[in-house]
Amino acid sequence: MMKQYFDDLVNGIEAKIEADPNSRSPRKVYALEVAKLGSRLYSGEEEIAWCGVTAPFDLLSAMGVTSCFVEFVGAMLASTGMASNFLDEAEQAGFAGDTCAYHKSVIGAARKDMMPVPNFLIATSCPCTGGLAVMENLAHHFKKDLFVLNIPQEETKQSVQYLADQIKEMVEFVTAHTGEKLSDDRLRSAIENTNRTRKIMVDVFKMAMNVPSPANGRLLSNFGIVIALLLGTEAGVEVAEAYRKGFGETLEKGIAGIPDEKIRLLWIQNRIQFKNPMVEILEKEYGASIVSDELNDITWDPIDPEDPYTGMAKRAISIPFNGKGKRRIKHLQEMAKAYRIDGAINPCHWGCRQGTGARGLISKGLGDIDVPVLNLEVDCVDSRNFAEGQLRTRLEAFMEMLESRPSPWAA
Amino acid sequence: MKTEKNHKLGFTCAYTPMAILDAAGFLPFRVLPVSNSPDQAGHLLHDNLCPHVKRVLDRAIEKDLPEDLAGMVFMNSCDAMRRLADAWMEVRPDDKVILLDLPATNERTAIDFFSGELSRLAETLAKWSGSPVTEEKIALSVDKYNELSDLANRLNGFMNEGKLEGSGSRMQELINLATSLPVEEALDLFKTEIVKAESSSPIKNGIPVFIFGNVMPDPEFFSLFESCGVHIAGNDFCTGTRMFSSMPYTKNRSIFIQLSKNILEKPPCARSFDPLKPGGLAENVYEKAKACGARGIIGHTLKFCDPYLARLPMVRDKLQDTDIPLLLLEGDCTLRSIGQQRTRIEAFVEMLR
Repeated sequence: MMKQYFDDLVNGIEAKIEADPNSRSPRKVYALEVAKLGSRLYSGEEEIAWCGVTAPFDLLSAMGVTSCFVEFVGAMLASTGMASNFLDEAEQAGFAGDTCAYHKSVIGAARKDMMPVPNFLIATSCPCTGGLAVMENLAHHFKKDLFVLNIPQEETKQSVQYLADQIKEMVEFVTAHTGEKLSDDRLRSAIENTNRTRKIMVDVFKMAMNVPSPANGRLLSNFGIVIALLLGTEAGVEVAEAYRKGFGETLEKGIAGIPDEKIRLLWIQNRIQFKNPMVEILEKEYGASIVSDELNDITWDPIDPEDPYTGMAKRAISIPFNGKGKRRIKHLQEMAKAYRIDGAINPCHWGCRQGTGARGLISKGLGDIDVPVLNLEVDCVDSRNFAEGQLRTRLEAFMEMLESRPSPWAA
Repeated sequence: MKTEKNHKLGFTCAYTPMAILDAAGFLPFRVLPVSNSPDQAGHLLHDNLCPHVKRVLDRAIEKDLPEDLAGMVFMNSCDAMRRLADAWMEVRPDDKVILLDLPATNERTAIDFFSGELSRLAETLAKWSGSPVTEEKIALSVDKYNELSDLANRLNGFMNEGKLEGSGSRMQELINLATSLPVEEALDLFKTEIVKAESSSPIKNGIPVFIFGNVMPDPEFFSLFESCGVHIAGNDFCTGTRMFSSMPYTKNRSIFIQLSKNILEKPPCARSFDPLKPGGLAENVYEKAKACGARGIIGHTLKFCDPYLARLPMVRDKLQDTDIPLLLLEGDCTLRSIGQQRTRIEAFVEMLR
């Protein structure tokens, strides 16, 4: 069923682009590559690894492994309106109702045989302890071998070396399961693609900072986190390039991601994955554009092909969700300044201790630079208790407040 | 800062290397989530966060802490604990705070890395106290804590045999004292209790049950279980004897490496696991229950504790295939929550009779 879904998606997008080459928008190119990844995961023909969010996907790709973080499946199930059944399944199996629904939906899907059986699993201790626990559960469920990457909290010489050593051991683990050694040429090529993608993404995010922004509430939704799955591949370069080209054309024409952009918003943590009217309300009723997401940023340096494990280690440690709250808040403040943000929205994904646990500190940190934060109470994956009316009221009040105050960047 | 002993250094996690704090001249002081402070932490953190962490933060917000608390040592044991460290620095900006990374697994690379973290702790505490924290000093403190661990486990054995007067609640009182008193005083206290227990006759009034979970520091919790007809035949809690594991070491080898290995290999909280044995918590619980002759198992975990909540289904699945029934309870660090569970505990015990 899932294979069919992804194949249909791939065929549908390709047919549209073929029929009208001008419709080849950045988001379409992105959706096409993500659908192709889904199709490969469910093909039953490839070496598959279910992973944690900060796994080195480019390295796995260089080793011929199709890999994906499991939260991607949770998001995909939610976006297609299929998560509820799997959430019910997980809860009936004893998973507490107030744990993360990304993880619960994945557990439910695995129990209902809707997750392809992996060849092995690579867990990562970052971003969250819940994520590590779900990987242990999946390894137990699938009866497959599990490798754990402990991601240190801070970048020090020792911590980078520790993670680099673990990544080297991971290579041996993967080889032991696939029977294929890591080829120097493939690794070099993957690193080259990663660095090319990175460079283009830096340009894309810089373009998105423009006032008005070529971005809008949909174009870069989930982009920063999902593109990691395509690092090391030509597809990653192609997707990033499509954005650079698309944004470049938009800027050249002097138009914006939304007509008459009035308010610029920063989205904190992850988007609400199921169908909801938020973006439409913001854009149509208030001229408010989500010009950036917290993870739409490059926090790591290009990877040195002569010393790739060190670069990969630094990359994993650098993500904003890792480390002390102060570091995350500083990053948000820098983004708010760079994007000239008027206000931020934090969905406070129900069940996310890592993210929502910093709610008050984030509000205060952005408040310190005069950027108000709207803290919602939403489960970003579980639509069963979604209260659209309440959300709308909160959103309206927040937008009216933003409309009535000068931009923090007016001077 | 004063350097004499008894200047307190707070901690909140059973993985904290108390011996290093002691060696640095500080008094390790476990900040327990037992307080009458009003609920305020949810505003800074989130209401949907571990009650242990929230209540500890409530204590910090309300200044319900020892006046001579010099600082805090946090372990990066879980998301909630990391967020507590963040919030603590906001609420008490003048406190000295260190957060140690704690790998979830215990391979050689993890042991090496955590050894470095322990070394960093010693260096930091040396700066805080103004005097060096040498490996020799640490070894002397480890000796004392090893003796305390042996005594704690003997006392726990007496409790399980029904020979400790006051039973589970007394045992918890003793453990709470041992994590707030100087280790020398705790040793004297434990020795006195052991002498008393040795001469006691066993009293086992209830059905033998193994209880496990994360945080249950209030002695009254144990009284309540016992009042429902439970005899605590064995137990495993973060706030219980899990804090006291003997750390054998040999001289002429780095004390940090040896402590690291001991800590990472000690009986684990659910947040630590062996990747070669996914679902190992279930096996551990079952084996411990069998070993103490329990006829039932009660798991008591705090709400919103991801490390435990995510692994309990594996425990449940495992025990379904065995002859030991399981009761799972959720709490919030208050007696009120466990009081509401009384009927369920009584029914469970009735079923075991």
